[in-house]
Amino acid sequence: MRSARIARQELAGVVLLLSPLLVVALLAVDARARRSSRDAEQGAIDALARRLPTSDLALSGGARWLRAPSLEEPGAAFADGPAAPDPDPAGGAMAPPISIWHPEGQRR
Amino acid sequence: MKLSILAFALAAVGRRKARSIALGGGLAFAVVLVSAVVFLTESLRAEAERAHAAHPDAVVQALVAGRPTTIPVATAAQLADIPSVRAVTPRVWGYVFLPALQGNVTVVGTPKEASPLSVAAGTLAEGRDITRGAHEMIAGQELAKFLGMLPGDELALPTATQSRPLKLVGTFKSSLDLYTADVIVCDDEDARSLLGMPDGSATDLAVTLANPQEARVVARTILDRVPGARVVERDLLARVYHLAYGRRAGLVLGATIPAILALLVLAWDRASGIGEGERREIAILKAVGWSTSEVLWAKLFELLLVGAAATALGMLLGYAWVFWLGAPGLRPALVGWSVLYPRAALTPAVDLAQLLGIGLAVLGPFVLLGIVPAWRASTSDPLETMRT
Repeated sequence: MRSARIARQELAGVVLLLSPLLVVALLAVDARARRSSRDAEQGAIDALARRLPTSDLALSGGARWLRAPSLEEPGAAFADGPAAPDPDPAGGAMAPPISIWHPEGQRR
Repeated sequence: MKLSILAFALAAVGRRKARSIALGGGLAFAVVLVSAVVFLTESLRAEAERAHAAHPDAVVQALVAGRPTTIPVATAAQLADIPSVRAVTPRVWGYVFLPALQGNVTVVGTPKEASPLSVAAGTLAEGRDITRGAHEMIAGQELAKFLGMLPGDELALPTATQSRPLKLVGTFKSSLDLYTADVIVCDDEDARSLLGMPDGSATDLAVTLANPQEARVVARTILDRVPGARVVERDLLARVYHLAYGRRAGLVLGATIPAILALLVLAWDRASGIGEGERREIAILKAVGWSTSEVLWAKLFELLLVGAAATALGMLLGYAWVFWLGAPGLRPALVGWSVLYPRAALTPAVDLAQLLGIGLAVLGPFVLLGIVPAWRASTSDPLETMRT
C-alpha cells in the first residue's frame, strides 16, 4: 500500500519535472495545426499582396509612418512624433565605423 | 534512490502548500508576461513576412528635403532598360484622413495589369473585383463595418479636390484583416483623384527583376540614373520588420521588467528563507542517515518541481492568452493605437528553441538562486539545529 503511494508520488514528480517539455509538445502540435490552416491561405495572401503597396500590417492606421514602416519610417517618423526619441537611430543600436562612409563621400 | 528523493520532495512541496503556491504563482506570472509578448511579436513579424515574397524586388521613391514625395511616371522609362529589370510599374497609393474615423485610411490604386481578386481565390469575403472606370472600390471588412457599409453602398471620401463617390463592390476576407483592415482599393484614376495626385505622377515605382539576387547592383544603377531617389530593396524589409516589432516588444517587456524583477526577488527571498519547521525536517533527515548530497538533492528537487510546474503553466497561459483568447489587453499595446484594429486570429510562429529558451530564462535563474540556501540547509549540523 505504502509502496504504491510512493510510486504514484514518484510518477507525479517525474511528470511535474517534465511538464515544461510536455507543454512545449502540446503547444507545438496546436501551433502546427494553426500554421497549416494559415498556409492554406498563402495563395490568397500572395494575390492580395500583389495589389497592395507593402506587406506591412494594418496595425496603426492612425499614424502613417507606423502604417507602412518599411517604406516610410526613415523619412517620416520624426514628422509624426516631434520631440520623440528617434525610433530607429542610424538604423540600429550601434553605428557602423565612420570609415565605411568614405567611399560614399567620394562618390558625391 | 533519486526517484524516492523526488517523491519525498513532492510530498514536502505539498506540505508547504502556501509557500509553493506563492513561489510558483509569481514565477508563472513572469513566464506568462514574457512568453505572451514573445508569442505575439513573433506572430506579427511572421505575418508581415508571409506576404513579403509577393512584393516587388525594389521600390523607388523620390525624396525632397529628405521626405518621400511623388515621383514622375516618366522616370519608369529611365529604368526600364537596366539589365535584369523585368518591369517598372508606377504605383498610386496614399492616405486619406477620415474625420468620422479619426484616423487614416490607405487608398490603393489598381494599375491596368493587376492580378484579379475574387471570392473563389479566397481574397474577398463577398462581392467582386472593381471594374476600371466605374468608380468602384473594395474595402477591408473592418473599415466597411466601422462605416456601416454594405456592397452597393457609396462612399464620398473627404478630399481637397472634387472626387466622385465610390461604390463598394466587395470586401476583403476577414482572415486577411491584418493587411486590409484600413485599405480601400480602387482604380488608378480614382486613387489619383482621392489623393489629389496629378496625372503623370506616382507615389513610387515598383521594380521587378529577372534575378532578385542582383537587387543591390540594380539599386546602385537606379541611384546613378535618378539622383536623390531612395531605393527600398525587398530583402531589407525583413530587417525593418525585426526592428519594428522588436522595438514594440522591447517597450512592452521593458515596462514589465520591474514587475518581473520584483517577483524574482520575492521568489528568491521565499526560497532562501528556511523556516523553523523546514530546518527541523532537514535535521531529522540527517539524523536518520540522509547524506548531505541527498538532502541537497531533495531541496533542489523541491525548487525544480515548483519552477518546472510554474514554467509549464506560464507558457500554457501565455499561449492561451495570445492564440486562444486573442491577447486581450496585450494586443493594443503591441499592434498600435489605431481605431481600426485587425481582428484576424494570429498564427503562432515561435519555434521550439524559443519556447525552451523562455522556459530556461526564467527557470534557470530561479533554480540557481535556490542552490545556495539549499546547500546551506543541507550542510547544517542536525544536533545543533534540534537544540535550537
